[in-house]
Amino acid sequence: MPRLEKVKYRAVPVRDIFLEMKNLSELMIDLAYSAALFNDHELAQEILELEGRVDTLDCLLEMTIMIAARDAHDAEALTSVSTAASAADKISDAAGDIAAIVTQNIGVHPLVSQVFEKTEERLMQAKVTADSLLVGKQVGELDLAAKMGIDIIAIHREKDWIIDPEKAEHIRSGDILIARGVHSGIKEFKELAEQKPRRSID
Amino acid sequence: MSQQNRGVLEEIVERLVELKDTSELMIDLAYSSLLLNNTELAEEVQRLEEHVDKLHTDFELLVLQSEFTKDQARGFLGLIRLGVAAEKIADAAAQIATVVLRGIEPHPVLQLSIRKAEETVVYMPVAADSKLVNKTLLEARIPEETGMWILAIRRGGKSIRPKLDSKIMAGDILIASGYAEGEESLRKLATH
Repeated sequence: MPRLEKVKYRAVPVRDIFLEMKNLSELMIDLAYSAALFNDHELAQEILELEGRVDTLDCLLEMTIMIAARDAHDAEALTSVSTAASAADKISDAAGDIAAIVTQNIGVHPLVSQVFEKTEERLMQAKVTADSLLVGKQVGELDLAAKMGIDIIAIHREKDWIIDPEKAEHIRSGDILIARGVHSGIKEFKELAEQKPRRSID
Repeated sequence: MSQQNRGVLEEIVERLVELKDTSELMIDLAYSSLLLNNTELAEEVQRLEEHVDKLHTDFELLVLQSEFTKDQARGFLGLIRLGVAAEKIADAAAQIATVVLRGIEPHPVLQLSIRKAEETVVYMPVAADSKLVNKTLLEARIPEETGMWILAIRRGGKSIRPKLDSKIMAGDILIASGYAEGEESLRKLATH
């Protein structure tokens, strides 16, 4: 039985709740596929936690919508929010189902790696070496979306997960970066992260 | 492994790639349909949902036909579950599109949440002598030149999720959104 968080109403703007649900659910799909591709149990576990978070948000959103409706016109308009939010919740459930393939040891067929070589969007995990140029850089200053067509969707740092890292987040040596984006950018970025020390000439 | 079985495995990969790409494209299109309150995009999502249903059935049948041994059963179950998840994502996208198709005016908070409000959606065919032909989206610089944002590329009855390295081909239909003024600039790019 999953632990369900007790949800108490608190005043949060509908827009903020919905935006977080939408962003999290979309991010979770890529994270879940990444967990399946790399058979990453820790990431899969983190996705199940996020799924719980989206459930809580959905519950909070329903309460907020009920309070916001003053008349029939409001009710009609707010249906659009509730329908979209429940879809975002469904998407996060689907991501949870993918993660469960990993956590329940159902098994990721070797064909899956062939699948991910052909999809439009590629996924990458890379451990940042001490010699990487990325060490000490802020996620935002790298401007990855414009320069390489990719973005970092999560950082695994020791026991912690930083999901959708802020622009100001500094990359550290030993971080495991999870990124998505175009094929060429992914390749280039992995090399940058996993840079080996230069051999001295002797 | 038999020759025939190898063919089945290749087809399984192809179907799963299409399931994954289509379901994710559908989410983008569904949210855009909501943002723009655009019935055509919402209908496109519904069409893709029907396509995904067929694709998913084909995929499951192929997995079942792939002569796996008892030891391999868990891996094949994993494949089936991936297919189910992609189908669920497509369903969720179709659900988002129902708002528009039911004629419910999307609540303003949704528009604030999704993206800055844009005004129009255009379907722009790419002519054979357009300078866009054979360029990737990165090279084509359509948003920079026209202010229009590519939502999807329709090619031979299929819709493709636009990525920076997607190549534009003659005969493609670019589904784009943006301010109405951008339409003329995009038409110029797409014609010659």
